[in-house]
Amino acid sequence: MALPTELAQTIIDPKAYSQRELVDEAFRQIRATAPLAKAELDGFEPFWVVTRHADIKEIERQPDIFHNGDKSTFLSNIEGNARVKMLTGGEPNLIRSLVSVDGKEHKDLRGIVFPHITPRAIKPLEEQIRAIAREFVDHMLSFDGECDFAADVAFLYPLRVIMTVLGVPQEDEPFMLKLTQELFNNADPELNRARAELSPEDMLKSLWETTMELERYFAAVTEKFRANPTEHINSLIANAKIDGEYLNHRQMMGYYIIAATAGHDTTSNTTAGAMWALAEKPEMLAQMKADPSLINAFVEESIRWEVPVKHFMRSAVSDCEIGGQQIKAGDWLMLSYQSANRDESIWADPFEFRIDRDSNPQIAFGYGVHVCLGQHLARMEMRILWEELFKRLESVELAGPCERTISNFVCGPKHVPIRFTAN
Amino acid sequence: MAEGFRQWRCRNCGFIYDEALGWPDEGIAPGTRFEDIDDEWYCPDCGSEKQDFELVE
Repeated sequence: MALPTELAQTIIDPKAYSQRELVDEAFRQIRATAPLAKAELDGFEPFWVVTRHADIKEIERQPDIFHNGDKSTFLSNIEGNARVKMLTGGEPNLIRSLVSVDGKEHKDLRGIVFPHITPRAIKPLEEQIRAIAREFVDHMLSFDGECDFAADVAFLYPLRVIMTVLGVPQEDEPFMLKLTQELFNNADPELNRARAELSPEDMLKSLWETTMELERYFAAVTEKFRANPTEHINSLIANAKIDGEYLNHRQMMGYYIIAATAGHDTTSNTTAGAMWALAEKPEMLAQMKADPSLINAFVEESIRWEVPVKHFMRSAVSDCEIGGQQIKAGDWLMLSYQSANRDESIWADPFEFRIDRDSNPQIAFGYGVHVCLGQHLARMEMRILWEELFKRLESVELAGPCERTISNFVCGPKHVPIRFTAN
Repeated sequence: MAEGFRQWRCRNCGFIYDEALGWPDEGIAPGTRFEDIDDEWYCPDCGSEKQDFELVE
């Protein structure tokens, strides 16, 4: 059965994601009536919409059958896909990064950074990250009772953490933030490169310009770290060899770009969403001040709640059955993490933000071999920020309407005005 | 699965450690019980620690 057109249009509409309730309601209806069905929309190759937690896990645990990189890794229309192939010389993705490669290439590339970002490997960073967190808590409290938590704290703190780990100088942080926002928020006139509403053709042109600007920046990074290798992640990327050869240009640029963009934007969105939730349920602050061990549950629930990566696409390389549906070789599938994290068969009250859940198997980081490389760092830096902030925060409430980014891919709150008092 | 051997699943990524098969990629021989794996071992797919594995019932 095909997905009703109205529902399919809602779940791909970037503007709908800026009013999340619309998308949540559409997915609620889809899970109830057609949890794995094909969307057939003008201008798009038909694609399956995978909405259930169990179906996404089953797909992600079979990376040999469901490839990331055979087609576009995020939803794009037929015309856009054709233009990307023209620009890249035949590849389906503008950027060749960890999320858009498969098999040995993926294993080899992931293996460059993976041993350096496990929970044990990042533990020694805890005090350095705590110092950064204290700096941003001081910064927030300097606003004298009111700030936009998204723009003033949540966009900046994860940026500083990841740039420190990568080896990017502080003076380059505004540049990295601007280009990250251009890359992920291309449909949002407040944040995209042109600061204007763009046609689909201009959006792709704009994305390409941003990508080229990032590549120019990172070309110098390679030179710098090959001349003077360090323990920073960008140095690992610059100096890594696979089968005796340095990474090729597309692999290296893709690695730098994903680490420097997805490495903070996702955590920023989650952090901003967590504060929004806290300001709406301030009794959680008192609970966590009394029992800081609840902060881990707050972090995990905020990841489930905000689910900053809304979807990824996969393509089937052979026929198989998922959730009672016959998937054919060549079929394209949208894995909706937002829907999976609201799945009523996993959470009895998925539309409630709660820090007292017995378990929280959220899959915002994905699942299987492509699970987010930085998930442990993300959890650690959020935990530390809240530990430092809650020691000093007495009360918090919303000071005006919050706003979400216009995007159907990597997105979250862009304005979270709050009023607060400190101890 | 051989009699008595169990499987353990990583909560964060779904990687399965099967005691019957071990994990030869890292020198863990077939038949190695999960509790006998070095405590320093971590999930080969996502880096989670042993405590993040659950028994597959």
